[in-house]
Amino acid sequence: DDHKLTLEELSTKYSVNLTTGHSHQRAKEILIRDGPNTLTPPPTTPEWVKFCKQLFGGFSLLLWTGAILCFVAYGIQIYFHEEAAKDNLYLSIVLTVVVVITGCFSYYQEAKSSKIMESFKNMVPQQALVIREGEKMQINVQDVVLGDLVEIKGGDRIPADLRLISARGCKVDNSSLTGESEPQSRSTDFTHENPLETRNICFFSTNCVEGTAQGIVIATGDSTVMGRIASLTSGLEVGQTPIAAEIEHFIRLITVVAVFLGVTFFVLSLLLGYGWLEAIIFLIGIIVANVPEGLLATVTVCLTLTAKRMAKKNCLVKNLEAVETLGSTSIICSDKTGTLTQNRMIVAHMWFDETVYEVDTSEEQTGKTFANNSDTWFILAQIAGLCNRADFKPYQETLPIAKRATTGDASESALLKFIEQSYSSVAEMRKKNPKVAEIPFNSTNKYQMSIHFREDSSQTHVLMMKGAPERILEFCSTFLLHGQEYSMDDELKEDFQNAYLELGGLGERVLGFCFLNLPSSFPKGFPFNTDEINFPMDNLCFVGLISMIDPPRTTVPDAVNKCRSAGIKVIMVTGDHPITAEAIAKRVGIISENTETAQEVAARLRIPVSKVNPRDAKAIVVHGSELKDLRSEQLDQILRNHTEIVFARTSPQQKLIIVEGCQRLGAIVAVTGDGVNDSPALKKADIGIAMGISGSDVSKQAADMILLDDNFASIVTGVEEGRLIFDNLKKSIMYTLTSNIPEITPFLLFIILGIPLPLGTITILCIDLGTDMVPAISLAYESAESDIMKRRPRNPKTDKLVNDRLIGMAYGQIGMIQAVAGFFTYFVIMAENGFRPIDLLGIRLYWEDKFLNDLEDSYGQQWTYEQRKVVEFTCQTAFFVTIVLVQWADLIVSKTRRNSVFQQGMRNKILIFGILEETFLAAFLSYTPGMDVALRMYPLKISWWFCAVPYSILIFVYDEIRKLLIRQRPGGWVERETYY
Amino acid sequence: MRRQLRSRRTPSFPYSYRYRLDDQDELNQNYLADEEEEAEEEARVMVVPKSEEEEEENEKEEEEEEKKEEEEGQGQPTGNAWWQKLQIMSEYLWDPERRMFLARTGLILLIYFFFYASLAAVITLCMYTLFLTISPYIPTFTERVKPPGVMIRPFAHSLNFNFNVSEPETWQHYVISLNGFLQGYNDSLQEEMNVDCPPGQYFIQDGDEDEDKKACQFKRSFLKNCSGLEDPTFGYSTGQPCILLKMNRIVGFRPELGDPVKVSCKVQRGDENDIRSIRYYPESASFDLRYYPYYGKLTHVNYTSPLVAMHFTDVVKNQAVPVQCQLKGKGIINDVINDRFVGRVIFTLNIET
Repeated sequence: DDHKLTLEELSTKYSVNLTTGHSHQRAKEILIRDGPNTLTPPPTTPEWVKFCKQLFGGFSLLLWTGAILCFVAYGIQIYFHEEAAKDNLYLSIVLTVVVVITGCFSYYQEAKSSKIMESFKNMVPQQALVIREGEKMQINVQDVVLGDLVEIKGGDRIPADLRLISARGCKVDNSSLTGESEPQSRSTDFTHENPLETRNICFFSTNCVEGTAQGIVIATGDSTVMGRIASLTSGLEVGQTPIAAEIEHFIRLITVVAVFLGVTFFVLSLLLGYGWLEAIIFLIGIIVANVPEGLLATVTVCLTLTAKRMAKKNCLVKNLEAVETLGSTSIICSDKTGTLTQNRMIVAHMWFDETVYEVDTSEEQTGKTFANNSDTWFILAQIAGLCNRADFKPYQETLPIAKRATTGDASESALLKFIEQSYSSVAEMRKKNPKVAEIPFNSTNKYQMSIHFREDSSQTHVLMMKGAPERILEFCSTFLLHGQEYSMDDELKEDFQNAYLELGGLGERVLGFCFLNLPSSFPKGFPFNTDEINFPMDNLCFVGLISMIDPPRTTVPDAVNKCRSAGIKVIMVTGDHPITAEAIAKRVGIISENTETAQEVAARLRIPVSKVNPRDAKAIVVHGSELKDLRSEQLDQILRNHTEIVFARTSPQQKLIIVEGCQRLGAIVAVTGDGVNDSPALKKADIGIAMGISGSDVSKQAADMILLDDNFASIVTGVEEGRLIFDNLKKSIMYTLTSNIPEITPFLLFIILGIPLPLGTITILCIDLGTDMVPAISLAYESAESDIMKRRPRNPKTDKLVNDRLIGMAYGQIGMIQAVAGFFTYFVIMAENGFRPIDLLGIRLYWEDKFLNDLEDSYGQQWTYEQRKVVEFTCQTAFFVTIVLVQWADLIVSKTRRNSVFQQGMRNKILIFGILEETFLAAFLSYTPGMDVALRMYPLKISWWFCAVPYSILIFVYDEIRKLLIRQRPGGWVERETYY
Repeated sequence: MRRQLRSRRTPSFPYSYRYRLDDQDELNQNYLADEEEEAEEEARVMVVPKSEEEEEENEKEEEEEEKKEEEEGQGQPTGNAWWQKLQIMSEYLWDPERRMFLARTGLILLIYFFFYASLAAVITLCMYTLFLTISPYIPTFTERVKPPGVMIRPFAHSLNFNFNVSEPETWQHYVISLNGFLQGYNDSLQEEMNVDCPPGQYFIQDGDEDEDKKACQFKRSFLKNCSGLEDPTFGYSTGQPCILLKMNRIVGFRPELGDPVKVSCKVQRGDENDIRSIRYYPESASFDLRYYPYYGKLTHVNYTSPLVAMHFTDVVKNQAVPVQCQLKGKGIINDVINDRFVGRVIFTLNIET
């Protein structure tokens, strides 16, 4: 309530002298009491917690469970047989290592992106000018205390929440707090009940644009308005990312399959007469065999690759999982200022000679933006250039005019740049017509006046004025048309009104311009007094209007369009005025050309707004004050029924409510924003997108992704990448899961048929963590099958990453063919070495007997334990090689889900590399001398490599036919049952 | 929540929009939309016979449940989720709208039945071709089974011979094992089944692969004192155990000509003199060449593996004596590090008195 107090009350409340400020002693005491004037950073999760999250979150949990189960199995084996196979021990160690390495990797990735985040932070300590014991002194902002007397000037950042006690032409830019792009003037007057609206309060971390002011600190650190918003952010619960939900769903599926298989075979093995212990070992073995060891790493690497690709396109992803979130986004709530617009004022239109002229407002303005030969234009340009307090900062002559930094208020700078660009050098103009007197703009008089020497004769003066158009018109009695003065008539007034309304309706800020040639009774050296006006200030000559706008970025309309065709709803949520918001929304296409708001429908049909059928008005502009009175069902109604929505004058809490409303509808919401006011919404959103250049630290902290170039269009790239990675992850998982079947079935048949184990733990690990890795990752580089930006965002409820059809395809079909291929190779080698398939059935007990060294084969030959083990391991190597070879086909088949490979092509070089790599790795593992000792892998005869070939062809042909059927008969049962 | 669920459930379950694809090009999608409408219409026709009363009943029931659910649901949202799942499961089993049991599952099962049937056909074809390429008489590769392994009898799942001479039950099973093993070597049987072929040379039988081959006699009496004919306890009762050694059969294996494979035993670790004396039967301690080559189980039916018996007549008692018996001869390997049964066998004698 400090804004309501008088200065005396204020002085007593903070026990501070309003001229000399605190004593040093007192300031020190308060500092110790209140702590430094900084925002408590959101409770950053300690590094070890982050690390543990990587280590134990989501997918890792599955592997940990596997590792523990293996260890338990090993323990059981050790306990009951002294000489147990070490397989389970190795497996549990390998699983642990995989989890730890992947955990470290993703931790490292995230640490890297958070480091980039750190670099955004402004490390230069901010200084504040305070008055203590009557002395002005520069101190660090964090040392500012409650009740301190602070002086601010144009260009400063406000060091704390201030109650102004004196102000001279002070304007502050509150955009980071409220989203208003126009600077607000500040004075000592109490103008509004609401502390956010009243004039006599300045807020922490906003900027003073111009003027000077003195104020008393009424809040520091976290108790400031900014601090409260920031703490609102940190209190928010963040939901699960969509991909995390997908992975959870996937784990559930895998677990169900694993437990089902495990229990089935547990019962089966009991029925077959195995002991309880053995059956339990089998149970654990089967469950663990279902764990796709390599998938965690694959998914992590795929996401990382995409994150890198996105970073190249100016989307920095803080959280790996957020990579995909953008792809599933169905609603984007975008802030206006700085994201959709260029965040700078620029001259957009002019009205003179009874005509509206348009000015080029694109980002890459080159050369003259406006040319006209009318005398009125010359005079207008002179007024705009001279009656203007903005100036270029020095030493930037080499920069293009549009990029030069200026001092002063945004609209004046806009005029300055415009005149410099399209008329002539303002500096020269000012040199020729020096200023002799001036009344600066303030909110009560709403105009700015300056008196200059006239260019032609330096003896007389000219009075120039600009300001709010209606105020300017009041001063005028004549108007200028093609350089000629005419006396004011009603016709002109009506024209003026129309023009003013038209430009204002475009959401532009309109300024009026007029001048008066002072008579020679005011010669050179005349003491103009601006306080007690001693010169004429009426019967001026009206020249024209200039309107300015913060124009949309050039790429935004196209991006919005793309979003729309991608089925993403773009909602504008801004703190700015509804008219400006609507105008920008129309210009960028958030409200498209042929849709109307209820008001427009009403105007067209000439009926009251209340009678408009809400179905006719697809677009709507909701004012913050209306939003306040809405119940959540009404908000849902609005969000559901209107396709094009603009929320204006919204507060941070309201942004949050809007985001929650969208999420209630089941949408996945992306929020863009740069200000502190956006940060709660950024945090609440499924993916918060902060601006890298203009964004505040708080917003960047709350966001999941950062647009390095502040450009909305980059989001579209993000969406595209996100969708692509979702598709490609699907393919990658399909590929990886497929080999699970040829890995599990050997163990199952080992149990129920009693054949020598066709595929051992080591070879399984060689596949999962060796040969399958690169190909699975290479699928992340696969290009899209169709235009992914032309389809609707996926429905998170039904379009799962891994669904029963994918499992069916991977496990039930392709995997089965692979398993058959593997067993065929196995039987070939066994048979060629003397063990025919029939004789293998039930041989297990004898085969595993270490003391039985004369086991007879089908030819009556007798084998020692080691000799037959060598054959067994040769078979395992061959089984492994077979899986690698059929995985070739699987990889090519997994490249596409709908298209034929012949349509898709084999342009993915990484994929080809992957095929070669896995083949070479397989050959290496088989033929390298010493592998028989190290990994128990044995060299294979060349002919054994070819056992898999027919099955590879079978897989390829089968799947091509399946996809052909899917393409030919959309909606047919092939598609319904097998399209994943 | 249930409402949502029901609204998601489209009229014809298997033909539902749920399977609508997300990345079709527009053309396809239009086409799809048409088809789906048709399908839907068909489905409606199918649904019509369902009496309205029943539906109402269902409605009521569901509404009631919904109410209950609402009451309970607020307290325990997790329970709700489970309830939903149960619902989905039961719908999966019994589709009320199409009035079919396992409607979707049935179709899937059919698809998979055909799929696996064809897969079975493929593997059968492959196995058939495999058997075409494999001879039933001679194994394709024998390099893994070479060089021959060695095995001893009696075999009792252990290579430690621990027994007490004065306690027959400690060695009785060895005797039984040996007796059983030597049944096939009985002189009468051998004379009846097999031929007496000339010693010192291969017994080569040319002829077709599938022709039955004759086998050479190896009579039990060759083993003399270890034949169990004179001493039915094979020396175990006197602390002079007999151990029989045989070489693993390998199709086509021939020892070097004129140089039969010999057996020699010695103490593996420890005092060389712990064994003191071993008698070998046949005295040559070798496998005669006439028992080679072996033509395989199918044609060489009565083949009898030659044996060498080791008679440990004076081994040190009351002490474990590790014995290693090796094959010696050209082309015989007996020092493979990780296979202790190739060309050699190691066992321990621990005879207590």
